[in-house]
Amino acid sequence: MTLAERTETGRGAAPPAARQRPRRRGAVTRPWLLLAPALLVMGGLLLYPLLRVLVLSLQDFGLRELVSGRTNWVGLDNYVELLTSPELWTTVLPNTVVFAAVAVALTVVFGTLVALLLARLSPVVRGVVTTAIMVAWAMPAVTGTYVWVFAFTPGDGVVVQALDALGLVDAATANPFAGRLSFYGVAALNVVHHGFPFVALTVLAGLLTIPRELTEAAIVDGASAWRRFWSVTFPMLRPVFAVVTVLSTIWDFKVFTQIYLMPGGDGVNRNVLTLGTWSYVESFAQNRFGLGAAIAVLLTALLLVVTVVYLRLLFREDEL
Amino acid sequence: MRTAAKGLGVAGVLAFTLFPVYLMVVTALNAEANAGSRTLWPDEWTWENFAFVVTEGGFGRYLANSLGVALATVLAGALLALLAAVAVARFRFRFRTSVLVMVLIIQMVPVEALVIPLFIQARTLQMLDTLAGLVVVYLAFSLPFAIWTLRGFVAAVPVELEEAAYLDGASWGRMFRSVLLPLVAPGLVATSVFSFIVAWNEFIFALTFMSDEENYTVAVGLRRFFGQHATDWGAVMAASTLITIPVVVFFVIAQKRLTDGLVAGAVKG
Repeated sequence: MTLAERTETGRGAAPPAARQRPRRRGAVTRPWLLLAPALLVMGGLLLYPLLRVLVLSLQDFGLRELVSGRTNWVGLDNYVELLTSPELWTTVLPNTVVFAAVAVALTVVFGTLVALLLARLSPVVRGVVTTAIMVAWAMPAVTGTYVWVFAFTPGDGVVVQALDALGLVDAATANPFAGRLSFYGVAALNVVHHGFPFVALTVLAGLLTIPRELTEAAIVDGASAWRRFWSVTFPMLRPVFAVVTVLSTIWDFKVFTQIYLMPGGDGVNRNVLTLGTWSYVESFAQNRFGLGAAIAVLLTALLLVVTVVYLRLLFREDEL
Repeated sequence: MRTAAKGLGVAGVLAFTLFPVYLMVVTALNAEANAGSRTLWPDEWTWENFAFVVTEGGFGRYLANSLGVALATVLAGALLALLAAVAVARFRFRFRTSVLVMVLIIQMVPVEALVIPLFIQARTLQMLDTLAGLVVVYLAFSLPFAIWTLRGFVAAVPVELEEAAYLDGASWGRMFRSVLLPLVAPGLVATSVFSFIVAWNEFIFALTFMSDEENYTVAVGLRRFFGQHATDWGAVMAASTLITIPVVVFFVIAQKRLTDGLVAGAVKG
């Protein structure tokens, strides 16, 4: 080992934090010891299964394979079947992507509006509204979905009746869960209700860090509220908006419970399948785990692309 | 004019956020919910639905299962996440950034992709239909977020405080216990609440792994009240209320304590 190489390794092993107290031993191994339990759990239950699902997607894996433990390799057959299926291109993929895009946009815009409102309220009122928002946040997806289903039940659900009273629908014939658009309308309502509190409270926390002087200076300069938002607030809170958008996108892309528990969402109504529910239904209702795995791989790949694009776009390495 | 607009906004947000909870509780207390009554203000009020759910519905058992699973997840998760957060916030080591990016990326892995291999794995290991199997899975799910959040709390503790402890002759372990741990406690509360909610609300794994009704968690137990042709909405909403209210109360209290803790830390720090 040359001297240059040695200094290089030395620098890698004794970075800034450790350099302040170079004589303290274990500075190299300690972080890994601390990380080991968490990495083991995440590696064994998140990373390894991810590899397994990739392997499974190359097999014909049904009940027989599940019982006998045999493997039946079929190469890319599952992917060929998946990618040549008209259902994927006309139903499942549009459902998944459009729904996620609309839900994210609604969640972030509504959450930001609520945060801007909260920032202008007196502390007492703000406390009350914040508590109500947290109630919406804490409501489990399962029970929340059941309540929205109950409210939109054809015929006598309270929302259907209210819309009937307004003359918008005919309660006797309207079935919000039958049509693709209305089905996803209800789902979007549910998802936005569940997702906007995180956006609102995170953006609010950011708003409160903006120095008053900046806003006041903009007001003195005669900037409108719209202009102030885009010229002062948004640039200052760029990282905050980045985080809430990334996380909302990831959450809304893989939303499962809220769709699966709606009438017809569990595969009965094939018009409203998403990649997530399709994968689950193929696997656990049809016992075609190989094809289900291929769908899951496609969903994961899509999410990976979204995540990487966002990360590259919004984070610099020194922010980590 | 401005006040009126604000008032309208507040009323709208309150109505939208509280509507589902309100409808749920009101239906749970509606004596005619079974008879198909769907209304915002019942004619007749009753506790019958709750009594039915807990006794004949067997929901007490599911509540106990969920509580056990959630508490085990929280305790194990807090410990593992804290250790990992200290590692990434306090040490500069090779692959540190890689570990951080991996933790961030792993959060985007969809459960649908994991449920297939983990189901097969659990079946081979005979962990299906056991509550311990669920705890392990939920632990893995809650860790990335917990590590990512706690990392911020650990990084916010001034290094000078640690240096002072070392100067006083404290070992690393002593410093960890007496300096770092108390200061990141609010962060631990926040991540624990999150882990609890992950475990308490999780649906897809509980649905897939549990076949014996004895082992149902609350999210899956709810499905018992959906009949083939008619749904007992009074029971569904009563059970939903039992699931929701503790989480909501817990969440609101913890969130408040968390913010108070943050403020106190900022003033002292």
